[in-house]
Amino acid sequence: MAMKPEEVLRAIAAARGDAICVPTMTTAPAWRTIAPDDFSVTCVGFMGGASSLGLGLALARPDRRVLVFDGDGSLLMQLGSLATIAGAAPRNLTHLVFKNGVYHTSGSQETPGGLGVDYVLMAKGAGYRNAYAIRDLDELKRRLPAMLSEEGPVLVELYTGLAEKTPMTDRGGRPFHEQAEKLRVKLVRPR
Amino acid sequence: MPESIPASLIIDTLKDTFREARAALAAEVQEPPRHQHLGWVLSVPDTHQKSVLAALDKEQALRVLTCATEDEANAVAAGLWIGGEPCALMIQHAGLYASVNTLRGVAMDGRVPIFYMIGLLSRERDKDPRESRHSMVRYAEPLLDTFGVPHARLEGPDDVHLIPEYYRLAQKRRGPAAVLVGLETI
Repeated sequence: MAMKPEEVLRAIAAARGDAICVPTMTTAPAWRTIAPDDFSVTCVGFMGGASSLGLGLALARPDRRVLVFDGDGSLLMQLGSLATIAGAAPRNLTHLVFKNGVYHTSGSQETPGGLGVDYVLMAKGAGYRNAYAIRDLDELKRRLPAMLSEEGPVLVELYTGLAEKTPMTDRGGRPFHEQAEKLRVKLVRPR
Repeated sequence: MPESIPASLIIDTLKDTFREARAALAAEVQEPPRHQHLGWVLSVPDTHQKSVLAALDKEQALRVLTCATEDEANAVAAGLWIGGEPCALMIQHAGLYASVNTLRGVAMDGRVPIFYMIGLLSRERDKDPRESRHSMVRYAEPLLDTFGVPHARLEGPDDVHLIPEYYRLAQKRRGPAAVLVGLETI
């Protein structure tokens, strides 16, 4: 049985420490409730960009862990980012792919290849240091500490069901430019 | 008549530009990033600027990240900017066309200052780019105008002062700004 995305996010929130988080699409509404007003920036307005946005953050701030909450449909839009990330080899990047096999936000149309697409294999082929799949919440909780500290880039394919909310059913949240500015202020701390 | 610009001149100008950007940030914030390098060049390789990219391979002060697509480069630039790092995107006109939605989402609506160096591959020496017989050359400036992206032409070595000027402009307006590299660099 697939994990509930909200339960996955709650487990991550409890373990993440001061990691920067980059949610996108269906993880965004739940994350802003679970971890409001923190070191996060949502990839919104440029679908598919979460992994690259996370890469930029990881390169700029090698002292912090960066967690990307990607979707399978989103990742497919910029699949080449797997190779770009592997080439840059940020040790502090954990790339989580919430895999549900559909474009949930736009009406749950199946993604190309659906659940049959193996992102673990793709990440390994691209050159990530590590990649593996997790299908069970207990296993996720058990492996989270290592997942958040192991040398990256690491990709974790998370078998998840549909989120309770999507950006279309829950339109709250600040626009990207406000989130980006807020995170930048927290990171560089103006005098 | 336009002239080709030496790679070393562009690289030295980028170094000065990033040095100035780092100093400005250090004066304003408590925790500027502390790296050995001056800044980043995000590239989707451009034939037109290949001499610059080749010279950058030997450069220690500038980090080069080759991206698979210009969409990625825009998003990486956003992450670097949030983290306080200076960067420039070195792409080709075709890459600009390929990534306009990300330019819109990141640099315009997202208000991320992104400085672009766009190579006008196949631009004829004796023609204004807007009159080029190649659509990829001809449409670059009109496209930037349509999106309201300020831009200038680098038509020779005397124009490299436009690199820091347009870099600063991007920061000031919190959005995109571009220079168009007229002839292939040498």
